[in-house]
Amino acid sequence: MVRLFRVSKIYPPNYAALADIHLQIEKGEFVFLNGPSGAGKTTLLRLLFREEEATEGQIIVNGRNITRLNGGAVARLRQELGLVFQEFKLLPTLTALENVALAAEVVGAPRREGRKKAFHLLRELGLKDKHDCKPPALSGGEQQRVAIARALVNDPILVLADEPTGNLDAEMAEETMRLFLRIHEQGTTVVIATHDTGLLQRFSHRVVYLQRGRLVGDSKPADGERSA
Amino acid sequence: MRLTQTSFVFRRVFKSLKELFWTHILTSGTMAMTLFIFGGFLLIQENLHGLLRGWGSQVQVFVYLEKELAPEELDQLLKQVRSYPDVERVRYVSKTEAWEKFKQTLGAQAGVLEGLKADILPASLEIALKGPHRTRAAAEALAQRLRGLRGVGEVEYPEEWVEKLGLLVLGIQWAKWVLGGFLFVATLLIVGSTVRLAFLARRDEIEIMQLVGAPAGLIKAPFVIEGMIQGVAGASVALFGLWLFFLFLHDRIPASFGVFAPGGGLHFLDLQGSVVLVLLGWAMGTGGSLFSLRQFLKRWSG
Repeated sequence: MVRLFRVSKIYPPNYAALADIHLQIEKGEFVFLNGPSGAGKTTLLRLLFREEEATEGQIIVNGRNITRLNGGAVARLRQELGLVFQEFKLLPTLTALENVALAAEVVGAPRREGRKKAFHLLRELGLKDKHDCKPPALSGGEQQRVAIARALVNDPILVLADEPTGNLDAEMAEETMRLFLRIHEQGTTVVIATHDTGLLQRFSHRVVYLQRGRLVGDSKPADGERSA
Repeated sequence: MRLTQTSFVFRRVFKSLKELFWTHILTSGTMAMTLFIFGGFLLIQENLHGLLRGWGSQVQVFVYLEKELAPEELDQLLKQVRSYPDVERVRYVSKTEAWEKFKQTLGAQAGVLEGLKADILPASLEIALKGPHRTRAAAEALAQRLRGLRGVGEVEYPEEWVEKLGLLVLGIQWAKWVLGGFLFVATLLIVGSTVRLAFLARRDEIEIMQLVGAPAGLIKAPFVIEGMIQGVAGASVALFGLWLFFLFLHDRIPASFGVFAPGGGLHFLDLQGSVVLVLLGWAMGTGGSLFSLRQFLKRWSG
């Protein structure tokens, strides 16, 4: 699903956010990217959804080399991905339903169909009665669930989440993680960047460790250890 | 772009027009002012052109005869003048006809002629020149030849000021393009600023659209359409303003102006001129948006 060959990202004048990364993520895997602040977790995710371009190396996503892409190809790549951010990135002037449906409409889904799908997803994520609320009227956990619904509305092959629980309390964080596990159970590949080691202990899955831009560890739990 | 996306684009256009109403009004107003000035030049130029065309067709040489010629002498003179290659037609105006015409011109003031003899004005020939010879130089050359003929007294032809008017029209034409060009560039910058404002106001929305894979065309299209709407609306307002201005002038231009303007005085822009003005507005709005989007998206993504 995802392959990185000797990938580096160097910011001027000479700061290596990522250096010589080799990584392979198989289809249907659930992977945590872990490491302290500044380890390169976010940069790695940004390379995967092509917000950044690698300075060196090759990146393959779903069989396609995404290292060098033009604007149109970047848009097509993102249509296959589901992105979730720490700060939710919801539009405060739109309702929860409209926020989710927007993602469907921009890729060409008819308005009615987009809204229907958005409503269905919000209901599945426990926001049936909140679909008409605007983000400022929702709790952090609810906002993150809206963001997750938006990430799922185009049936992504890969979900990338950058510190999705960073702005949530422990209970909400746990609930949000269970949502990602449900998504994973349905066959979607999920990659979550987090610095929260507690999460890694509670949800036992493959963890890729980064430190100062280098991949310093890759641990897979033994069979039976995985949380569900 | 798919049909569903087209409807999405128009919903965003409508939303922006509603949310940034006054910004759009300001831009359309600026464009209207620019196009009003440009259209004003167009209007002046077109009317002066019409005037010159009318006068051009009327460039005539007037030959005043020394005395009343005998019919055979007059026939011979007419025959000779008509044989000149630059002469289109010749009309003989007798003393009586000249008197009647003069009285008509004076109208209500014709009373001042009382007591004067009806044969006080000389008989004359009105000579119209052929198209290519309707210039002051050609008229002067013909006048030289006519002066040498028997029975010919004074010869008059168009004065230099007609040519100066031609130069004035040329000047207006140049001013239209030079000033119009400056205004055009200024308006492009203003439209560009509006697009930037609209862009900044919707920056989060655009960022999210980019993150969920919206094609660039879908992001840009609403801004371009807004530019088009601003341009066409501005041009329409300018055209309407010009029409009101034209009506105002039409009622105030001295009636004597109409005497000089063959074809009944002032004319408003014809359909072609009006379409040019609207298309110019459309081009300004679209061009301003595209230019700004290009700059802004480049800077943003860079």
